[in-house]
Amino acid sequence: MGQRRRAGAVKTLSSERDSADVARICNRKHNICMVSDFFYPNMGGVESHIYQLSQCLIEKGHKVVIATHAYGRRRGVRYLTNGLKVYYLPLQVMYSQSTATTCVHSLPLLRCVFVREQITVVHAHSSFSSMAHDALFHAKTMGLNTVFTDHSLFGFADLSSVLTNKLLTITLCDTNHIVCVSYTSKENTVLRAVLNPEIVSVIPNAVDPTDFTPDPSQRPADRITIVVISRLVYRKGIDLLGGIIPELCLKHPDLHFLIGGEGPKRLVLEEVREKYQLHDRVRLLGALEHKDVRGVLVQGHIFLNTSLTEAFCMAIVEGASCGLQVVSTRVGGIPEVLPDDLITLCEPTVRSLCDGLEQVIAKQRSDSFPSPASIHNRVRNLYTWKNVAERTEKVYDKVVGEEVLPLAKRLRRLRSHCGPVAGSIFAFVAMLDFLFLLLLQWLLPDRFMDVAVDATGPHGLWRQKTSRKKFD
Amino acid sequence: MGADGAPSQSVPWRKVLWERQPFPDNYVDQRFLEELRRNEGIREYRYWAVVKEASLVGQQLSCVAIFITFWLYMEQGLLAPETLLWTSLVCGLLGYGLYQAFTSQTDSCSETRTHLADLQSAALFLSFTFGFSPVLKTLTESVSTDTVYAMSAVMLLAHLVSFPYGEPSPPGSLSLNAALFASVCLASRLPGALHTFAMLSCALLVFALWPCLLQRLRENSPLQFTGVCVGVCTGGVGGLASQSLGGAVLLSLAVVSVTFLCPLLLVWLQRHKDNIHGPWDEAEICEDLSHFLH
Repeated sequence: MGQRRRAGAVKTLSSERDSADVARICNRKHNICMVSDFFYPNMGGVESHIYQLSQCLIEKGHKVVIATHAYGRRRGVRYLTNGLKVYYLPLQVMYSQSTATTCVHSLPLLRCVFVREQITVVHAHSSFSSMAHDALFHAKTMGLNTVFTDHSLFGFADLSSVLTNKLLTITLCDTNHIVCVSYTSKENTVLRAVLNPEIVSVIPNAVDPTDFTPDPSQRPADRITIVVISRLVYRKGIDLLGGIIPELCLKHPDLHFLIGGEGPKRLVLEEVREKYQLHDRVRLLGALEHKDVRGVLVQGHIFLNTSLTEAFCMAIVEGASCGLQVVSTRVGGIPEVLPDDLITLCEPTVRSLCDGLEQVIAKQRSDSFPSPASIHNRVRNLYTWKNVAERTEKVYDKVVGEEVLPLAKRLRRLRSHCGPVAGSIFAFVAMLDFLFLLLLQWLLPDRFMDVAVDATGPHGLWRQKTSRKKFD
Repeated sequence: MGADGAPSQSVPWRKVLWERQPFPDNYVDQRFLEELRRNEGIREYRYWAVVKEASLVGQQLSCVAIFITFWLYMEQGLLAPETLLWTSLVCGLLGYGLYQAFTSQTDSCSETRTHLADLQSAALFLSFTFGFSPVLKTLTESVSTDTVYAMSAVMLLAHLVSFPYGEPSPPGSLSLNAALFASVCLASRLPGALHTFAMLSCALLVFALWPCLLQRLRENSPLQFTGVCVGVCTGGVGGLASQSLGGAVLLSLAVVSVTFLCPLLLVWLQRHKDNIHGPWDEAEICEDLSHFLH
């Protein structure tokens, strides 16, 4: 494919301008573009994962840009900490912050980003994000290597998962490497997208341990507090929580609940609170900002998670990092996350969760748990972003050396891998995409496109002093 | 990196993330996918049981055909509206009696609805329909006949598609409304106001009350239910045959394929079912949690 060579030519041209530039490019290994529909100002696991990972990669001397869709008036190019450049592309949002997908229309914008930023690796996040799927597709058309991170688990039974899984099969059929956040998630993704398990790596999420430090002095001495922090939606098992609260509150008069988060299931909790007259013992805090989470966590003794499905569950790590005893349902990847003595796993039923909580409450009363500080010390080094970045870097190192399938091979692979019907349809779409790319390259050749000014400043001058010392 | 480069240490791989293990990130262990379960709790279908259930679909198809047959007869003046009204009345009373008999068989005191209430709603409906039938008669005068026919066809199709075959009593609101809309359209093309009234009463009988009786029949005497279904299907095909032979052939083909071929297909495809379950499935809340709220 000619487009790749041309991009390389641009790179040499631009670097010839300045000998310092050459040093800079040799110094930095990868130019990474993270693509996902989900990014700040949206808040959640995927968003913080992308942000934290990008920050760590920048610190390691890579160039990272993020492409997402425009959020309201937030469109165009924005800069975040350490010169992390974010493209808010004007793409139409269709459903719950996911863009509409036609497999073709986003090509001009994404090509612009990839060419201007001289991207070598496209890293897409989340299978819910259609922009991520689009980017994987276009990147292959443009001859770039791709990595995909899957953050969620999916079933196989209902119509929506059948369709999403087919789409995933198609976009991942020539993706170089896939990253999953837990072993369960890996099994799930391998089955959903019919993948060779050897191109799927497991790299867990991480938690910033300095954000989540214990402070036992914040705990009221005369009561036992159970903290729940999650979105109040069905998938987080809030209905179970609505059954647990009256059961336990009747048995333990000194038990209090502290619930952070917002969502449609708030009604259930409010009704329970109303019916059993628990207004002084069940506090609903509403939506919490990330910086306020620690302040709520340290007030509790026990952290409760009632999720019905979870690929990794950062919340329980945050809870344990603040020194709380964690009680959680045994679903998805949760059993892999914490060692057995830091977590009490229960079946997703009210009975089992109440039994688990009773055990923990009894132990808490007899003071037989290790101190919050010692729990924090055990958890703080389990999951760090630095470690995630190192492992992801290895994936990039592996990926850039791989060959990108030329068009003919790619079409053959689509048809052999994705079934005769969907495979043929998407082979046709891949053709269209390629022709569209040729048209775009004819209208505006890559060599006339300006190379973007590096967001870390000329020669990385704007990068933080500490990181400069490390890498220069 | 590289899964084949896995070290041959004596430490076994564990499915945990909190421990740094001496394996590469893309390592695939022997135990990969060991928790995968296939076709769990799957329902085995038996052919004749499915045919029996599917006969309800054929029956409903024939009901529509019977209604259309009545309409064709009325339109050509072969059936006097008085005759249809009296027949409907007799059938309605007969059906009501049967329905009551079945009800008293199953549960004696749970239903609080009295005969008087039934009579009241019947009287109310009939008087309103009678009063409004001149209006309904002229309702679609400004619309072309082709449009009315097309609309009726679409609505009857919608009725068939949205009919709650699993639990036909009470008939679903969408299916009932579609059927009544179609009947109003068709009835407005008849020659007189009394025709319209008779047609609408007949529609009520066929689309609203008959499914309720049929459901009771299905619950109480499955054997008779099959007989009734066969009877209705024969009636539908026979009635249509007296008006249009081609239509009757098509209807009988449809009924046969729905009741005999489709179940065959279902049972045959059952063998290819491959349902996978595993730890990634979303947990289901099996308990009834409503008692905490109410």
